[in-house]
Amino acid sequence: MIARRDLSSLSREKTIVLALVIQLFVAAFSSFLVVGLTSLYDPSSVESDGIAIGVTGDASQALFEAVAETEGVRPVAFDSPSDARRAFDAGRVNAVLTGQYAATPNGDGKILQVTATAPEGSIRTTLVVVQLRTVLKTLERNERFERANSLERVPLTLPPEADASPYFSFTYTVLIPLLLFLPPFISGSVAVDTVTEEIERGTLELLRVAPVSLLDIVDGKSLAMVALAPAQAALWLLLLSLNGISVANPLALLVFVSAMAAIVVVFGVVLGLQMGRRRPAQLLYSVLTLVVFGAAILLPEHPATTTAKLAVDSPTLLTYGHVGGYVALAVALFAITRRYVDRIEPESL
Amino acid sequence: MNLRKLLRIARWEVTKNAGGVDKRTIAIMGLAVVAMVAVAAVAVAGGASGLDSGLYRVGIEESSPYYAPAADDPAFLVREPSTLAVARGNQELRFEGTELRNRPVTQKEKAALGEFRSSVDSYNSRQMASEDNQTAAYPVAVSLVYLEQRGVTDTVQTSDRQSSSDGSSGSASGDGSTDGSGSNGSDRTGGSTGATPTGSDGGTASGGLSGLGAGLTGGAASGTPSDIQPPFPFESLVLAFLFIVPMNFVIQAYGSTMLSERLNRRGELLLVSPVSRFDIIAGKTVPYLLGAMGVITAITLGLRLSGLTAGGGPVAILAVMPLALLFLSATFCGAMFARSFKELTFVTVTVTVSLTSYAFVPAIFTDVTPIALISPLTIVVRDLQGQAISLTDFAFSTTPPTLTALVLFGLGAGLYREEDMFTQRALPLKMLDALSGRIKSKWSALKLSALLLPFVFVAELAAVALLFALGEVSIPLVLVAVVVIEEIAKSIHLYAGFASGRYRRSLRAAVAVGALSGLGFFLAEKFVAIIQLVQLDDINTGEAAFITGTPPDGVSPLLVTLLLLAPLALHAVTAMVSSLGARRNRRSYAVAVLLAMGIHFAYNYTVVVTLVQ
Repeated sequence: MIARRDLSSLSREKTIVLALVIQLFVAAFSSFLVVGLTSLYDPSSVESDGIAIGVTGDASQALFEAVAETEGVRPVAFDSPSDARRAFDAGRVNAVLTGQYAATPNGDGKILQVTATAPEGSIRTTLVVVQLRTVLKTLERNERFERANSLERVPLTLPPEADASPYFSFTYTVLIPLLLFLPPFISGSVAVDTVTEEIERGTLELLRVAPVSLLDIVDGKSLAMVALAPAQAALWLLLLSLNGISVANPLALLVFVSAMAAIVVVFGVVLGLQMGRRRPAQLLYSVLTLVVFGAAILLPEHPATTTAKLAVDSPTLLTYGHVGGYVALAVALFAITRRYVDRIEPESL
Repeated sequence: MNLRKLLRIARWEVTKNAGGVDKRTIAIMGLAVVAMVAVAAVAVAGGASGLDSGLYRVGIEESSPYYAPAADDPAFLVREPSTLAVARGNQELRFEGTELRNRPVTQKEKAALGEFRSSVDSYNSRQMASEDNQTAAYPVAVSLVYLEQRGVTDTVQTSDRQSSSDGSSGSASGDGSTDGSGSNGSDRTGGSTGATPTGSDGGTASGGLSGLGAGLTGGAASGTPSDIQPPFPFESLVLAFLFIVPMNFVIQAYGSTMLSERLNRRGELLLVSPVSRFDIIAGKTVPYLLGAMGVITAITLGLRLSGLTAGGGPVAILAVMPLALLFLSATFCGAMFARSFKELTFVTVTVTVSLTSYAFVPAIFTDVTPIALISPLTIVVRDLQGQAISLTDFAFSTTPPTLTALVLFGLGAGLYREEDMFTQRALPLKMLDALSGRIKSKWSALKLSALLLPFVFVAELAAVALLFALGEVSIPLVLVAVVVIEEIAKSIHLYAGFASGRYRRSLRAAVAVGALSGLGFFLAEKFVAIIQLVQLDDINTGEAAFITGTPPDGVSPLLVTLLLLAPLALHAVTAMVSSLGARRNRRSYAVAVLLAMGIHFAYNYTVVVTLVQ
């Protein structure tokens, strides 16, 4: 009954809509960041003719080959560094590589010294430098293979290139955990609020005139908050799949989110009852949740990793073990809290 | 304002606070912070696994040369290669020797292959680092120079080359947090722990921090090819969080105390005492502002003294101050509006998220464009990096947020009175109350338009920052955003005035306040000329946003006068249109504002199109 009341008051206040909007905003914001950042890197995000790199110097032949081997860049050979520089100034090439062979300080061989020139203060600078790095690494590999006799271990050949989506790893390791963990954390925070507000306003008295015990009240409030989190999480999963991001094991994920929500909400309720005032309770809630969530990195699997592995469909026994562990912990905490609440004298609040 | 009274209220706030947040709470908080540091230390020491650990399953025999790199990278689980497992989707990649035996089809398989490629690459780098013959292992030495194209030469990072064996210990994967701490010779080129484009280095605070030392001492200008650091604003991201996270705790406490004044009429006692409400508000705010600044100072000093950053001093601390003020003022307004703690929580989250993105999005472009200066965090990052900051840059990025914060405090103060604090009024009504509280006469229209300009400014800058990455499409979008923001800012207080009966609903009055509102906006907008100092108008998007604020150079004096007066006429006309609508009711106000937006957009669009040609 009280759970229903709390839920309906939440929806009436339109704040839940606000909460959803906020979460959507957070998600949009982080995706925007990543899409924006990767577009700074991603060669395919700019025009198709690619980046023109001027090569010059003694070693221009080796440089030319390395540039030609790399996708998304095209080499332009120059006879002299000053020609290359002029072309760079005029914007005909996006970058210049000048290579010279030089003796090493201890004189045991020759080293290829490359001066790479990249445009300053341009939006494409990042992309140009990333491409330069790819080219130079190719060059380095080629040179290493040429000197393989002097190496104890020959470097491994790289596996073929893949046209992978640059957002794949981010989506599963950051975005989905973020979306799934926000609802439980907000639920916990709201649980702190509903408890402390009743205490601070003195409205707990009124509720107690009704034929319900304190335990019923706390039960109702926390159940409402716990129920809210998986509902929101389910919404996110639905939206993600509409966006073409397939999320595996939705049921396991929802169970996981519910367990998380239960743990966090129970924690919030106990803090609220213990402190009785919102300011210290909220402060402790946010600090401690942050610490505990951070400390979870000491577990064999961080909760975010558990989510990622479930969502990407690489779960192991360990993953399921973690989910089971959280469920058990949630149930145990809930039971302990009920006993604790039962023993509280309502008059003492 | 009375300083003595203000300070007394501040002292009460602190002492009462000590009663509210008792010793037990403080002790637990202290323990929590210690625990956080301990966890971070353990994580940095290599006890933790990355966020992406075990994401991909690869089938590789133990005899294969690829076994070692796959086993080294926690992102991969190594299995016995099996065709069946691949077909079932239980193995993403299957290798025989170094031959890939399955064709990656799904997104996951492709991502696994891309990841594996970079993982083998970093394995190679690690192998090479232990070679005896360093010349053969590192046959290429690079020095990277940034030059401005078109004439002007300006070397950002001069190349002081080092022997190539030095800066090579870091690999491209950010998870290798151990080698960051293992080899920190003081002259290390550093910077090789950067983020890979796929973002595989995880978002854990501890993982980020281990890369910080390398990242902050200035990117690698020379070294081996893998040392090259693209100007990725990694440090800006970490720093942004470092400086903004403490704010959240401060505003949480601040919001609670402000709202609890409103519960059970607690604030009434102070309100009826012989102090002005500004004294009360300022007195209650000062301790939190000082607290926030204290934490920021501690963080800055900590970064400086631990050698993580090259610079960092008063400039950085002063640059964070507007942000702190902005956080506090937005929370104050929120606490005045919210009706319950639940609502306050949502308000606080909204404030956090929106202000974080305001501070954050521009700051990620720190190394790239003047856009970055929109956010004061850029100043902070640059100061921490030891770069010099010009006074105009400082003023440009800190003035708008400071003014906005002051306006927000002013609006909230409009609500700090009995009628609004202790009653449950609907949100829109309160909003109008906050505005109409400032209205005294017709001239208030001018004043309010001018006062709201910082808002407009910040909102427009944020729009520019968000939209400029989109390229060509962004100009019309920015125009639309600008028009909407400006028209609402010019007319909302007029509507408030009419709705609360402060303005008479006659035709003459409507025209008069409309014209005054336009004039006020125009005058205030001239301050926008400040943006010319930082050449934000180099960027088309910036130019489009402030088209009515800055006359272009190199045109005849007559045209300049015209260009100066045209915006005035425009602002006056559009404000009058909305004002005429606002004097009737809400619906006709909405229609009138849309009409005004249409006029404004047509004007701006014409000007942009003619100027661009």
